[in-house]
Order: sequence, then C-alpha cells, then structure tokens
Amino acid sequence: MGTRIVERHGNTFKEKIYLPAIFSGMKSTLKHFTDNLSDASNIPTLCYPEQKPTDITPRYRGVHRLTHRKEDDSIACVACFMCATACPAKCIEIVAAEREDGVDEKMPKVFNIDLLECVFCGYCVEACPCDAIRMDSGIYSVIGDKREDFIYNKAKLLSIKGISKEEYSLAK
Amino acid sequence: MNTVLILLPLVLTILYSLATVPILVWMERRIAGLIQDRLGPNRCHIKGVRLGGIIQSIADMMKLVFKEEFLPSHIKNKFYYLVAPSIAFMSAFLTFMVIPYADTITLGEQTYSMQALPTDLGVLWFLAFAGLGVYGIILGGWASHNKYAILGAMRATAQVIGYEVAMGLSLVSMLITYGTISLNEMVSYQTQSFFIIPAWGIFIQPIATIIFIVTAFAETNRTPFDAAEGESEIVAGYHTEYGAMKFGLFFVAEYIAMAASGALIVTLFLGGYQLPYLNTADLVNNFELLLWGIIIFALVTSVLFLKWMQKHNIFAMSGINETKLYTTLIIGFTVFAVILMSYYALANSSQSAKEIGVMLLQFAIFTVKLFFLHFVFIWVRWTLPRFRYDQTQKLGWNILLPLSLVNIFITAVVVVAGVNYGN
Repeated sequence: MGTRIVERHGNTFKEKIYLPAIFSGMKSTLKHFTDNLSDASNIPTLCYPEQKPTDITPRYRGVHRLTHRKEDDSIACVACFMCATACPAKCIEIVAAEREDGVDEKMPKVFNIDLLECVFCGYCVEACPCDAIRMDSGIYSVIGDKREDFIYNKAKLLSIKGISKEEYSLAK
Repeated sequence: MNTVLILLPLVLTILYSLATVPILVWMERRIAGLIQDRLGPNRCHIKGVRLGGIIQSIADMMKLVFKEEFLPSHIKNKFYYLVAPSIAFMSAFLTFMVIPYADTITLGEQTYSMQALPTDLGVLWFLAFAGLGVYGIILGGWASHNKYAILGAMRATAQVIGYEVAMGLSLVSMLITYGTISLNEMVSYQTQSFFIIPAWGIFIQPIATIIFIVTAFAETNRTPFDAAEGESEIVAGYHTEYGAMKFGLFFVAEYIAMAASGALIVTLFLGGYQLPYLNTADLVNNFELLLWGIIIFALVTSVLFLKWMQKHNIFAMSGINETKLYTTLIIGFTVFAVILMSYYALANSSQSAKEIGVMLLQFAIFTVKLFFLHFVFIWVRWTLPRFRYDQTQKLGWNILLPLSLVNIFITAVVVVAGVNYGN
C-alpha cells in the first residue's frame, strides 16, 4: 500500500487572484439563466394543479383499495385482521361477518381506513394473505371538508381502480 | 414647473430606493430560480393577474407590515434595539441622495440639478453614510443580547475595517483621475473618449473598478461577503432577535444599500446617465434623430417581449385572461409611446421641450444601467459561496489594500506626467 499524494489546489497565482474562477462560475450560471429565460419549458418544475405528475408507477403507495375476486367480482378480503394487526397507526377498523354466498367463509361487514391516521407505510399490503388490499391506486391527493370525508369505508375502497395491470386479486 | 423640477430628483430618489425594493426582491427570487433551473414564485395573483410574480413580493411586504410587533423581554437596551434598524435604513436611504440622475438642466434662466441633494461633496457623502450603515448592524447585534447576534455584529465590525480602507483608497484614485469630487462633473468627464474607447471609469481605471465593486459587495453585506448574517453558522446573524417590520427595515436597508452602491458604481465607472461618445449637447442637437432611434428600438423590443410573453404565459389563473390583458397593454402602450414620440420628432419642438426629452432619456439610461448592476449583484450572489471570515480579512488587508495603494501611485504618476509633459 503506497501513499497516495492528493494534489492541493488553490496555490497557483491564477487560483489565488480568484477572478478567473469567479468569471468562469458566473459564465456557467449565466448560461443557465439565459437558457431558462429564453425557453422555460426545459425547467423540470411542475406547475402542479395545471400539470399533473406523470411518473406515478403501480409501486407508488397511494390511497388503498380493496380488490375483487376474478371469478365473481366479489370482495377478496376474508376479514382475517392481518392488516389491522400489522398497522402501526391502528387506522384500519374491521368488523367480520359470515359469508352466506358460499364463495368463502368470512368477509368484512365493515372495513374502514382512516386516512388521517394512516402513515402510508404499506405494511397492510405486505401482511395481506389474500392480495385483498393494495395501494396501487396512484391517488396522492385526498381532499375533504370534514374529518368524516377521510374515513374510507368498504364500498368506497372497493370502488377505487388500480393503475397496475392486475386488476383482480391474485390469491388462489 | 419650478417646484416640479426641484422635487423631481427627490421623488426619483424614493422611487429608485424604496419603490424598487419589491421589484428587487422579485428579481432576486426569479433570477435565483432561473439560475438554479427552477421557476421561482409565480403563482400569487390578484384576480388572475400575476405580473410575473411581483404580486408575491407585495404580499410579503404586507405580511411584514401587519405582523405583530413583539419585543423580547430579555432586551435591556430597548432604545438601541429599536433604533438600530432605523439607522441601517436611514443611512442606506441617505446614501442615495447625491446620485445625479440626469445632467443639470437649464430652462430659460433657471438651472436645476438632478441630484436630490445638490451638493458637490458627492463621493464624501456616500463614504460617510455607507460607513454609517454598518453601525445599525453593530448596534442591532449588540442590543439584541444574543450570542448569534453579537457574533454577526462582530463579524460585520471586523469586515468594515477590512474593506473600508481599500474602498476609500480606490475612490481616491478615481478622484485623482477625474480631478473632482462632484459626481456630476465625473459623469461629464466620462462623456469624452480616448480614440474609440469611451472614457468610462471601467476602461481608464480597471483595477480601481474591481476593488470598488468587490468592496461594494462587502459594504452592502451581500454574498460572497455576507458573513455577518451567515445563516449556516450563526442562525441569522445580527437580525436573529428581530421580527416583523423591524426585521423588514434591515431587509429593505440591504436592498437600498445595494441600489445605492449600484448607483454609485454606475456614476463612477459606467458613465452615469450618459450614453458613450454623446454628451448632453449632442443629444439635444440631434433630438429628432434620437427619437426615431428610440421608436425603432421600442417597436423591436415590444414585439420580441410580446412573443416571449405569449410563449411563456401558459397556465392561466382563475379570473382575468392574463395573456389577453398583457397583449392589450403592451400593444396599447407601444402604440401610445410611438405616436407621442413621432409627434415630437416631426413637430418642430422648442429648445426646452428637447432638453426635458433628453433629461427623460437620461433617466432611462441611468435606470437601465442601474438595473444591469442589480442583475450583476444578484447574479454574483447565486454563483459564489460565502467567503470565510478570515478569508475576507486576508483579501481586504493583504490584497486589496496594497493593490489600491499601488494603483493610486501609478495614477498619480500618470496624471502628474500628463499635466506637466503632456500636450
């Protein structure tokens, strides 16, 4: 292992009088300024409400949705409480009920997610054994006038469409 | 007419210093944005009219004015604490009083000076009040009774003694060159030309120009010499304990000081209110030709500006259709100005009308040069990192001071040789 000599800068006369470096720096910033002034369309800033982000992928953790079964389009959730147990914010409220139509044994009667408490960590999605809850809706902005508007119930969660190719639950 | 012409430079002083502050803040933020590939503030609007974001600085100003005035209870010297921002503000404002905005105008018998304070002591007045501005900072930092504030104040103090000498000496070499301390006479000196180069201070005294511009940056406490407020080390420096309009006064004072320094740089080194090669008499004699030149310039620039505006004003806010409004305004204003100027160019206007026309033109030239310097101040701020405190000292004492002394020596030799053996 030899010693590597690091070259020290700033000791030549040209560097000590500062001005050449200052002028080259000013040239660089002026180029940015004139380029952006003559054509502002190259600036990556989004003018948000008018321009929407276009880079939201299915892996983006947006608002949750409940998936449907491929066979009969009914709810895929079996009310196993795994998501509610995994949730660090305790924002999922489930009331289980017996399923009468013979497709499965259990289903949620109530499935509420309080989005004001949710931290969008995605643990519920990872915990779910039935691929019944997903966060691939791509919705990043939730708006409401009162607190109740932010509690999404079962019907609302089922109605949200995903932006990934797999629309139905992948669970067998 | 008499009263108007006497009050005009006073009004202009207020316009150039106070009224430009919102515009300067807007310029600062938008230019910073464009330099850093951002847009800068552009959404604040009144009924859909954004004026490119100037409304944002008006909103900021209103916020500062209407914020609660609080007085921290630990402050013992309340008088000094309260008087400090006003000292900084007043001295920055008074610095502006001696800048000539146009040549002395003679109407009939009367002669009017276009300085707010018609004195020949121009440069000395500037040095006195520019130096006083730092006392506001020092007093504010000390009276705040706060470690960060006093650190900022001490940095400002040390910086003052570092640059003020070099600044004064670089001015001395300019005084030797021009042979006068009256700013108006300095500007008339600069209308001469040597061969094809106009005799602007920047061409005949490049070293003094560089020294003065560098020290002017230090004097206005702007980057790269803003160690006094170094927010990465000492919170906000001298104005840490200030809020609402007390902070606002410091903030405004910084911009007015910048405007005043810019105005002095324009007057000393960039030919002041004059165009190169042309003195006031030339302008008055060729008034019609000049007007046609301005008409063509106005038409070209407004067409270019209109195109640029329509290309970039894409997202309309709710309310008035902005693009339509601006298009109407630009076209209307251009047509009005062109008709007005062609009337004066075609009609055989009187001598005094020509003189007033030239005076207005000189205001415009001064404004353009001043705003160019504002741009340079902002441009430098968003290019250079802050000098370390000891580097500023070293720069002031080891480089600028000897350099300005050498410059004075050379200038004196050249001037004495020119006087004794020239011609």
